[in-house]
Amino acid sequence: MKKRHQQKLVVLSLLLLLALNLPIVLLFDSSESFLGFPIIYIYIFSAWLFSVLMSWIVVQRYYE
Amino acid sequence: MNSAVLLLILLGYLGILFFIAHWAEKKENVKWTNNSYVYSLSLAVYCTAWTYYGSIGVAANSGLSYLPIYIGPIIIIPAWIIILKKIIRISRVNKISSIADFISLRYGNSRFLGAIVTVVCLAGILPYIALQLKAISETFHIVTKTNSSSYIFDDTTTYVAVALALFASYYGTRYVDASEKRKGIVTAVALESILKLVFFLIIGIYVTFFVFDGYEDIYAKASLLENFKEKNTIGGLEQGLNWFFLSMVSLFAIFLLPRQFQMSVVENNRERHIKTAIWLFPLYLLLFNLFVYPIAWGGNVLFEGKNVNADTYSLLIPQFFDNKILTVLVFLGGFSAAISMIVVSSISLSTMLSNNLLIPYSFLGKLRNEEQTINNKKIVNIRKIGIFSLIIGAYFIYRFFALDYSLVSIGLISFVIIAQLAPAFFGAIFWRRGSRMGAIYGILIGFVICVYTLLLPYAIGLTNNESSFVSEGFQKIALLKPFQLFGLDYLQPVPHALFWSMLFNSLTYFAVSVSFKGNYRERNYAEMYVDIDKYSTNHENAFVWKGTAYTRDIEKVLIRFLGEERTKRAMNIFNVKYNVDKNQELADARLVKFAENLLTGHIGTASARILISSVVKEEKITLPEVLKILEESKENITINKKLTETSNQLQKITSELQKANETLVRKDVQKDEFLDTVTHELRTPITAIRAASEILHDDDEIPEELRKQFLQNIISESDRLNRLIDKILDLEKFETGKQTIHPTQNDIIATIENSIEPLQQLIKNKNISVYVESKDQILAFYDEDRIIQVITNLLSNAIKFCPETEGLITIQVKKKENFIETSVQDNGKGINPNDFDVIFDKFYQASNQNFKKPVGSGLGLAICKQIIEHHKGKIWVESSIKGACIVFTLPVKNIEN
Repeated sequence: MKKRHQQKLVVLSLLLLLALNLPIVLLFDSSESFLGFPIIYIYIFSAWLFSVLMSWIVVQRYYE
Repeated sequence: MNSAVLLLILLGYLGILFFIAHWAEKKENVKWTNNSYVYSLSLAVYCTAWTYYGSIGVAANSGLSYLPIYIGPIIIIPAWIIILKKIIRISRVNKISSIADFISLRYGNSRFLGAIVTVVCLAGILPYIALQLKAISETFHIVTKTNSSSYIFDDTTTYVAVALALFASYYGTRYVDASEKRKGIVTAVALESILKLVFFLIIGIYVTFFVFDGYEDIYAKASLLENFKEKNTIGGLEQGLNWFFLSMVSLFAIFLLPRQFQMSVVENNRERHIKTAIWLFPLYLLLFNLFVYPIAWGGNVLFEGKNVNADTYSLLIPQFFDNKILTVLVFLGGFSAAISMIVVSSISLSTMLSNNLLIPYSFLGKLRNEEQTINNKKIVNIRKIGIFSLIIGAYFIYRFFALDYSLVSIGLISFVIIAQLAPAFFGAIFWRRGSRMGAIYGILIGFVICVYTLLLPYAIGLTNNESSFVSEGFQKIALLKPFQLFGLDYLQPVPHALFWSMLFNSLTYFAVSVSFKGNYRERNYAEMYVDIDKYSTNHENAFVWKGTAYTRDIEKVLIRFLGEERTKRAMNIFNVKYNVDKNQELADARLVKFAENLLTGHIGTASARILISSVVKEEKITLPEVLKILEESKENITINKKLTETSNQLQKITSELQKANETLVRKDVQKDEFLDTVTHELRTPITAIRAASEILHDDDEIPEELRKQFLQNIISESDRLNRLIDKILDLEKFETGKQTIHPTQNDIIATIENSIEPLQQLIKNKNISVYVESKDQILAFYDEDRIIQVITNLLSNAIKFCPETEGLITIQVKKKENFIETSVQDNGKGINPNDFDVIFDKFYQASNQNFKKPVGSGLGLAICKQIIEHHKGKIWVESSIKGACIVFTLPVKNIEN
């Protein structure tokens, strides 16, 4: 895998570090229901799923 | 459920695991055991009984704070592509078999540091194993609805622990070399990872959709409960800080926990397995967390007001509805989660215990003088006993200290203790200047703070409730309150301990590292670790060592541990790899490092160095010297790289030149041939003319008739000469691009008829029938005069080769999408398939019909080809059953546009 593509994954790590910690995570800090889940759960699980998808796309495309 | 039945089920389950582990060790099953999915699933040893039961307890009792344990790994896993890859490479080339090896080798192969790391790991992990046994035992009693017996030998779970200890000690020590891959264990763990996830999903679906009516139903009922809002939000800045520290501690844990290091690094067969793990492992963790909230709050709704342990909701709910099968399945899932943690942790701890503590500090002297078989047996036995006593020891911790805390709190304490290795560990791979003293003092100070702020208060809490230590501090000094050290009072105990211990740990590590000079060996390994990409193929070169050593002495040591045969094989590999004469008496730095590596897997890095240095005489080198040598070897590597690049370039240029040369030579030959043929062709008519003129000149008495005949000959030969020269000029114009064509829109059928017209006489003479298929108008873009030239040429060839009787020529025009295809077919003798390509060459016929006087110039088809190609069309010979068939295409649209 080329260095440039590896760095895409490192940037993803940094994004997750920001998205899943304060102060950003506190913006979604609510127990109101969305599809039966408190909103904070929905937010965290979506960010989580996003990271799985992004990692999958990057390694499928660029890992040689 | 009856205890005996459940015990039987458990034993059957363990039996299956034994079988799987045994099956996976076989070579022929390697396709199933050595793949990236097994690797990714084996990483899920991270999910223990703590995940399986404890998360639900936290979600039900205190809220979201179980999530950061997964958030940390999720954050860092994408970066594995760089960090984990680096760790795996370093460990592979140095034959590292545990995290203690990894850290101690980097800091100058320090025996003391290895021992400290081992002790820290033991202190952190042993209670954690105890916790898993507690989970097994408690859930066993819930499923069987019995109470744990106070007499230890009456309690069935004791026997479960013993069976586990036997399983782990048998399969964990199949190889003397601890850096060998344990396929059996890995496969069994991967299978357990699938089982625990599936069983957890089943109970999740059961609770959400069968007990309740979907997520909305749970939400509607749960939101009426007390404190629902507080427990389903993070809740403000202070809690956000707790959240941050917890996610950091789990981020460290995913690298540092001995069982994670074992699975992700030591048991890694191929670097590229990371590719799958990077997305599959987070996905696994996500699936595991989807149903925690519904089960926890479903349980809260069902058991509101009853005094039950929320950790065990996943068992109590199916039991509440009397669903026995589901209860047992959930129990088995939890059992899987617990035993994979117990087995892998005890294996890695016992490797550390033997390789980094027991052998270097006590057994080494005994091992040194024994025979190989005895040595191997001893080493394996040390580890076997190690694994067994670790598990049994953990069981006693659980029984005698009657761990009263919930699963999560003890798990987190062990995370914080293990996190003390983080500065030394990450410094090892990214910071050259990190030093041994810095690492040692950092870890020690961090560990002491952990003991003061976490272990002591918890231990006191277990034994003596009246102590004022927690509430008032040591010696009643308020600033020294273990949970509010230096007055920091807004963090929870675990994040609080993490903050202070990591702060002092890393400050010490950095401060000591920059203040005192390390020794040359540390710096040597620092270069090797940080720049592993440069050294991964020939890392022995990166080892700086000066002194005298004899190959024979080193071999002797190796034989003691590897045996005669393996030593010989290893020496051969070394000699071939570095092109060393096998009778070389003096050993160099590379052999010293190579021998240390061979021993490392058996007895650990520290002992390997002690053993080798006992038979060699090392001279001290100064730090600058080490740096100089490393610099040189690095330069050599870059120079080598540049040289290879340049030589590659040269090679490319040479091959290009060669090709160009070949083309030139071929063209030269072609030109010569062409000149030869042209002269030959020109000479034939000239000879005829000359002969006729000579006769006319010399003989005045030739009869009038004959004289006319001769003059006629001279005229026709001159014509032929003229035509030939015209054609050569024509061809030359086309080839040099001086000839231009002027395409207009024309009807090809009309053009064909125009071409046939002048040949009518010839056709009649030979009695040939000519058919033009398709009488409609077909339009195309071309230069009509030129195409008439082509068709005439093809027709006269066809006429020439048609048989004397029943000659037949068929002209066919087909319209395709962007072009039209015209074919001229005769029923003559046909063209040899070998000549399909060459007939368009100049003078083709001259070389092929030498038995007969050439008919025609031999340039006709070459000119046709040039004309067609100038129209951007193609011309070729099509194979046909009888006769020759030549096809050409012309564009339908103007080629200029």
